[in-house]
Amino acid sequence: MANTREYIRTKAGSKIAKIVIDRDLCIGAASCIAVSAATYELDDENKVIVNGPDATDDDTLVMSAESCPTKAIFLYDKDGKQIYPK
Amino acid sequence: MTSYKYLIIGGGIAGVTAAETIRTKDTTGSIGLISDEPYVLYSRVMLSKPNFFLGKVPFDQIYLKGKEWYETNHIDFLGGKKATNLDTAKKIVTLTDGSQLGYEKLLLATGVDARRSTIPGADKKNVHCLRTLEDGMKIMANLKTATHAITVGGGFISFEMADLMRMANMETTLLLRESYFWEPMLDKKSGDMIEKALVKGGVKVLKNSEAASINGGECVESVTLKDGTTLPCELIIFGIGVVGTTDWLKRDGIEVKRGIVANEFLETSAPDVWTAGDVAEYNDLVLGEHVIMGNWVNGREQGRVAALNMAGDKRPFKFVSFYTTQGFGTTIAFVGDASPGPDRQIIERGSPEANSFGRILIVGKEIIGATLINRTSEMTVISRLIDQNIDVSGKVQELGDAKFDLKSLLK
Repeated sequence: MANTREYIRTKAGSKIAKIVIDRDLCIGAASCIAVSAATYELDDENKVIVNGPDATDDDTLVMSAESCPTKAIFLYDKDGKQIYPK
Repeated sequence: MTSYKYLIIGGGIAGVTAAETIRTKDTTGSIGLISDEPYVLYSRVMLSKPNFFLGKVPFDQIYLKGKEWYETNHIDFLGGKKATNLDTAKKIVTLTDGSQLGYEKLLLATGVDARRSTIPGADKKNVHCLRTLEDGMKIMANLKTATHAITVGGGFISFEMADLMRMANMETTLLLRESYFWEPMLDKKSGDMIEKALVKGGVKVLKNSEAASINGGECVESVTLKDGTTLPCELIIFGIGVVGTTDWLKRDGIEVKRGIVANEFLETSAPDVWTAGDVAEYNDLVLGEHVIMGNWVNGREQGRVAALNMAGDKRPFKFVSFYTTQGFGTTIAFVGDASPGPDRQIIERGSPEANSFGRILIVGKEIIGATLINRTSEMTVISRLIDQNIDVSGKVQELGDAKFDLKSLLK
């Protein structure tokens, strides 16, 4: 992936260890923010950044990634396996 | 006659999110989903994005659900079908092919249509609007041969299409009936910033201009403006607003104004009929008025909340809507209710000179909305300030200070 940013998640009991945002895909639709405002915010380039990687539970995090209309949010488990998009 | 426990009219993000949400609450109730398009759920917001058009994003990325998703979740996808009549007493929907479907609970998530030009020649080939995947595919094909392009309108479709046309190296003209870009939703200062970015990006912007006729044979070859100027053009896109899809409902006693009228539970005036998405004119609890918020995030959230209510979980819709767009190195965001009105107090943040300019709209003591040019990082915090009904009456000076951290106002 080209223009990506990685965010490490260390939340206790979570199966998700890393959140990756593809900034080329992100269009700032901000649907992920609607699902979890504690996890994401926009920067001035209208791209999503993760400011709270541990702020929410796994289900909400998956839901936020699923809500993205350009599939710009990738979730990985502790072994580096991609959980979403499947 | 087939009958569904839950019948959803509209296969876009509101309708599909509703189906998905109902399934989490009711694992066995039958769900039917009618769409006038033959396609499974696709990303309507991606339709206007240059990366998609120019093939930088694989075409199939546009689809957000596969056919198997509908099957696995036991959702009957009735694609390519249009509803023409609703009988709320008998609880029956009639489709264009004459067939009828019964329902226990109905969701109207029919969206809106793009407003089409009616000037002479507007029916020629390569005269486009952008609403459906079909429209997008026609533009994509046209892009390969056109060298002169015109985009009409002062909103996000025209802005994003102009970006696309320039990326495809076309000579691009933007026709604007208004005196500045995005009038009257934006103020002149913001509109001028956008115009400056367009011009810098190589777009010829013609303000106070209107197309009078579209000329050519089968395909468009040129456009004549009201002032008599004729511009060569092999591709023209109209981004001139939307029209409702509610005419078929007016006979049936469902209250319709600009959209389908609903309360805060997204219930319409008819029993067991809900509405969601671009077509819903709902009682907004945050803003305290009936509004239509036509954007992706709102459609998704309303689909979810309408579905919860349909499945018996009575819950009001309370959400601060927002919308963003970008192009020509410029980002634009609208938060909450940013529409103009005499009762609004407007506080400016930053300046066009600094190429970073926001406007915060206040009614009474509270923020109701904002517009942000190159300040999208403030979108989330402003939506929270609106949501939490923060009293900002004593903070006017701070709000007007571009460096003041808005987060410090949160509870």
